[in-house]
Amino acid sequence: MIVEKAKIVSNNKIAKNIWKMVFKSENIADDYSGAGQFVSILVNDSWEHSIRRPMSIANVGDDNISIIYKVFGSVTHSLTQLESNDYIDVLGPIGNTFTVDYEQYTPILIGGGIGLSPILNLSKCLEQKGINATTIIGAKSSDEHFLWHNPNNNIFLSTDDGSFGIRGTVIDALNIVLEGIVNPKIYACGPEIMLLSLQKMLKEKSIPAQFSVESYMACGVGICQGCAIPKSQNEGYHLVCKDGPVFEANEVNFD
Amino acid sequence: MTSLTCKIGPVEFKNPVFTASGTFGYGTDLPVFVDVSKLGAIVTKSITYETRVGNPPPRIVETPSGMLNSIGLANIGVKKFINNIIPLYNNINTKIIVNIAGSSNNEYIKVLKEIDAVSSDIVGYEINISCPNVEHGGMELGVDAKLSNKLITDLRKFTEKLLIVKLTPNITDITKIAIAVEDAGADAISAINTVIGMGIDINSRKPQIYKTYAGLSGPAIKPIALAMVHKISKVVSIPIIGIGGIVSGENVVEFLLAGATAVEIGTANFRNPNAGDVILNEINQYLKKNKIANYSELIGKLNLYE
Repeated sequence: MIVEKAKIVSNNKIAKNIWKMVFKSENIADDYSGAGQFVSILVNDSWEHSIRRPMSIANVGDDNISIIYKVFGSVTHSLTQLESNDYIDVLGPIGNTFTVDYEQYTPILIGGGIGLSPILNLSKCLEQKGINATTIIGAKSSDEHFLWHNPNNNIFLSTDDGSFGIRGTVIDALNIVLEGIVNPKIYACGPEIMLLSLQKMLKEKSIPAQFSVESYMACGVGICQGCAIPKSQNEGYHLVCKDGPVFEANEVNFD
Repeated sequence: MTSLTCKIGPVEFKNPVFTASGTFGYGTDLPVFVDVSKLGAIVTKSITYETRVGNPPPRIVETPSGMLNSIGLANIGVKKFINNIIPLYNNINTKIIVNIAGSSNNEYIKVLKEIDAVSSDIVGYEINISCPNVEHGGMELGVDAKLSNKLITDLRKFTEKLLIVKLTPNITDITKIAIAVEDAGADAISAINTVIGMGIDINSRKPQIYKTYAGLSGPAIKPIALAMVHKISKVVSIPIIGIGGIVSGENVVEFLLAGATAVEIGTANFRNPNAGDVILNEINQYLKKNKIANYSELIGKLNLYE
């Protein structure tokens, strides 16, 4: 884990309120273990925004690290103002990775909202191993998507309003996709409400899953205990930064 | 060569910059890039008798120039601290002060006695009296001078090590508590703990913190902390350790001028785990630029208008 000011290579809008930033960090790239890990960033030196923001790593290639972020508040808006050759203060890589046992299970990947960042990362990693995993991406409407609905290539998009791909939520898409799949295991990332619904449905069908979970976070290094999420059976808390962000779906209590 | 050595109670520290309780764990679990040997001391997370898992989330939220936290004194408890953490202090090249919390006098005493019986690397204790006390209807000990005096008088009997008392700002007159704990035998006072605050999410119409009220920290509270340190400095003669929104060497100088002998850095560590080191460099630069040979020349040197 490293903290440093990394040079920005590019920072572009890729869909409605969704941007992609690439920055260069040899140290972080060297320390990176795989899809699921994230970095924690400061947009500038001002204490107006006092604490770092966690950002999932969407890709690591050579020494370039990509993050995909949704613009919805003043911090993420400030992020959009940064340009190539500006610097960004980065702490990372943080956290554990998805572990895909593709010999025992057929992996199905699900990304909802901004959760698609680690899922796209995982999809690419599996592709490099020769596995074309079925991937479901959900959004509210078509203008939030930046991939194409392509069932022949195992990419399924869903939109709440039906403007693109399958009408409905990722769960509706999953029900369609599950038909005929043997020994599925789900790898998902998205808003808590999506993970909660998914967790319930998968429990009913006895399908195992790994979830990448989000939380408010301060230190990012396992010290402040701010990013606690309840363990299942209410026996205390996991720390998202230190024990996660990836958990087996039955280890976390979303209620 | 400017001198930063600092004496508080029976202990000499290499410099006056410590890390605040709750912001540096137990001092043993920092990322590899943090060099703890640069720090004057580490104050541990609050240790209670039993293990505490802490409060349900959300536990933290950012506020302008600060943050709210309601972690709930999550800690491994005194037995695990003694068995798993204290042995690691052999390998840490900085002084360790253990922060103790409890919900009754007996609990504080038990924790202190058990640690004191085994510790060799621990130089002293910081007593967190901002805890709701179950024997007094959940009222914070730190708002009552008599109760604070009683606790410290009791604890003083069980150790000769450095005994620091950490005061809460959520009180009408902090000087009364300061005097009470000095009378009870405290070697030093640290001030301030977090300021009670609250955040509200207008979309969900819920508080931003599960427990509703939380502690505010960061640059937003520095003016409050400075005022309290200054007021305390006028009524006690034991050293004061200033805490509250320190993020730079200049901030440290402010606290020294107000009357502090040392400082604790808290929230700044979340933004940069190396904050202590950065701040020490800034202090050195300030002292050099102003041709000050010993940092202690600044202590209490504030010139009031009247």
